[in-house]
Amino acid sequence: MNSSQWGPSALGLGTAVATAAVLEALIRGGAINAYIVPLPSQVVLAFERVLVEENVVHRFLLTTAETLVAGALITVVGIGLGVLLHRFRLIRAACETWVAAFASAPVVLMYPLFLVIFGRSATTIVMMGFVAALPPVILKTLEGLAGTRPVLIDVGRSFSVTRSQMFWKIMLPAALPTVFVGLRLGLIFAMINIVGVEFLINFGGLGQLINELAERYDLPGTYAAIGFVVLVSVLFFYVTERIERWLRPA
Amino acid sequence: MNGEPDRAGKAAGIEPFVSVEHIVKRFTTADGSLVAVDDVSFSVARGEFVSLIGPSGCGKSTLFNIIGGLLADYDGAIRVGGEAIRGTHGEIGMVFQEESTFPWRNVLENVAFPLEIAGVPKGERHERARHFIDLVGLGGFERRQPSELSGGMRQRVAIARTLAAAPQILLMDEPFAALDEQTRLLLGDKVLQIQQTLRQTTLLITHNITEAVQLSDRIIVMTYRPGRVKRIVDIDLPRPRTSAVVSSTAFGRHVAEIWNDLREEASRGMRDDERQLRGGAER
Amino acid sequence: MAASRMRRASVAIVRAAIIAALLAGWEALARSGLLFRDVVPTLGAIARAVATLVSQPVFYVNLGWTLGEVALALVVGGIAGLLVGLLLGGNRFIGRAFEPYLYYLGPTPKIIFFPVMIMWFGVGPASKMALGALSCFFPIALSTAAGMRQIDGVLIRVGQSFRASTAQMVTKIYLPAMREPIVNGVRLGLGVAVIGTLLAETKLSNRGIGYLIIQAYSTFDMPRMYATLVVLFALAIGANALVSRFSTDHRRR
Repeated sequence: MNSSQWGPSALGLGTAVATAAVLEALIRGGAINAYIVPLPSQVVLAFERVLVEENVVHRFLLTTAETLVAGALITVVGIGLGVLLHRFRLIRAACETWVAAFASAPVVLMYPLFLVIFGRSATTIVMMGFVAALPPVILKTLEGLAGTRPVLIDVGRSFSVTRSQMFWKIMLPAALPTVFVGLRLGLIFAMINIVGVEFLINFGGLGQLINELAERYDLPGTYAAIGFVVLVSVLFFYVTERIERWLRPA
Repeated sequence: MNGEPDRAGKAAGIEPFVSVEHIVKRFTTADGSLVAVDDVSFSVARGEFVSLIGPSGCGKSTLFNIIGGLLADYDGAIRVGGEAIRGTHGEIGMVFQEESTFPWRNVLENVAFPLEIAGVPKGERHERARHFIDLVGLGGFERRQPSELSGGMRQRVAIARTLAAAPQILLMDEPFAALDEQTRLLLGDKVLQIQQTLRQTTLLITHNITEAVQLSDRIIVMTYRPGRVKRIVDIDLPRPRTSAVVSSTAFGRHVAEIWNDLREEASRGMRDDERQLRGGAER
Repeated sequence: MAASRMRRASVAIVRAAIIAALLAGWEALARSGLLFRDVVPTLGAIARAVATLVSQPVFYVNLGWTLGEVALALVVGGIAGLLVGLLLGGNRFIGRAFEPYLYYLGPTPKIIFFPVMIMWFGVGPASKMALGALSCFFPIALSTAAGMRQIDGVLIRVGQSFRASTAQMVTKIYLPAMREPIVNGVRLGLGVAVIGTLLAETKLSNRGIGYLIIQAYSTFDMPRMYATLVVLFALAIGANALVSRFSTDHRRR
């Protein structure tokens, strides 16, 4: 059992390290222009420099705060709209396809519009994350409520529960696992769009860091910063996955 | 043993507690109108254990939903203690065939659910729930999640939950269908035990003849669609129904008799299906 | 039946009512003077801007650039994704070695790689296409790998029993069996390729729809910006619907 786990991981890691080593050799040898692809060793050094000099902790907190605010908004508005759409069948029949269509549209392209409305500020960033992340939360909430096992509804009816009791004590708890999937998807979308917009409008936390380093032509720094942001988002994805799995038995 | 549909109750003079009167249920399908239940009448006396048995398609699940109140659109009447009812009613408790425990509540919270709905305060409802949990033999499992229990244990939780609402009538729709034979037998014994202790008026819907004869005071045999009462059988075997009773010739005779009735109905059902399929293929 | 006809009519009425309410609300906001001029232009202004936009050759030239970039991005990212997906899905060891990287690197913001793309491919359309390809590579690779794994083993053994070559196995057994997950992956890939390419155009370009949007922004021509966004969204939603229909049609057969 253990050997079958070690093998693939070693291959994956080994390939990454080997690629870096090959790159290093090629660049030092002049086969690849060092002004286009910096030496991996320099990128590693720049990592430490960037972390120390560029106020990374503060930036990280800013991006995280923006994401959490967007997350709070999609929780309240997204679940609320999902519940509303489920409650009023006619409105659901009318609007559900619209929400799905909106989910497939390039929403983040509206950021210049938000720039005009909210200015170059954290509000623009948060609003962009909110709007982009809303559809999956609404759709998953709807899916969860609509997918309640009919026998559980029958149990409620056999005990003559009121409409409110049916919703709060049966439908919502039954839907919660699916709702959490939606919230996790929404949070991920929000983070991705928030970091992206920070980069594009050159304002904010981690996304802005990359933009700044690129404009300074600090090649190793830019690569290091991109690597750091990718690491942060991978961590974010992993943590939300863990939390969702932990909440699942509920 | 009666050959005629029995309307007055088990023996002359005993008041029927639950009275099912001339129930007719029609469904509209794509091919027209389908009569699922055609003028079904019977009654259950207080404290009686009655089984309803029939082939697939005889409308017994429809009857379950009608008596339980989940279906309110039908012709005829259901009376409990003389009073007519329609729709869900606190006096009738239902146990469903499928997995019906709430997966997000532990055993104690599941069983306490009807008391919670009725507004009973926490301490009291937990205590009352514990009584029923012990009754079904799950004492000590109060804090467990349903996912940690076997299918049979989960059905026991469902039964305890329904009993916790103290219904006058316990209505069960093939509650043991999803379980293996051994669990089925043990659970059947358990339910009988509880029923005798509580003197719980019980109507059990089943397709298992042995189970019906083992548990019941009377058995109502249904015809194939449209469902009618074919025959009502008095099971005059002694209680408790020990293994000696179950292996007696009288027991076997009841089983054989009902088996004959059902075979007749089931083969009608098969011929009907074949005719439908053949008709469809010709189209 | 009469009931479903009534149902469809009520849905249509509700939709019309909602649209009417939204449009009325918009118009009221536009005329109220509450917001800075033109931040919310009147419906008439937007409609005129749309008409102007779709009648100008410059729109179609730029649309052509964007479509070209997206198409190339899909081809490059798609083929790479397909090949990598086939490899990861087909070989359990290699899959376990590398797929987690794809799985965890997938949901990250790709636009931050744009400076690197500019360094490698210059400031022309190639860098936009590269970003689009990078974006759509991940969902396509992951869907293909998952699709490979859910192929019924019996079908593979049938191919092997007839001693099919690798190329034949891929074209005659793997790909047909994976039609559904691949189309799904392409649909996802199309969405992110469009987003990646267009965002790159807004950041640094003098061609494409993204460029048109930023141009409208920098000249504060709000009706034109709204018009470009409206047309863009209509095209994107339409393209998505087309691809979806393509996949359902195949399922019905």
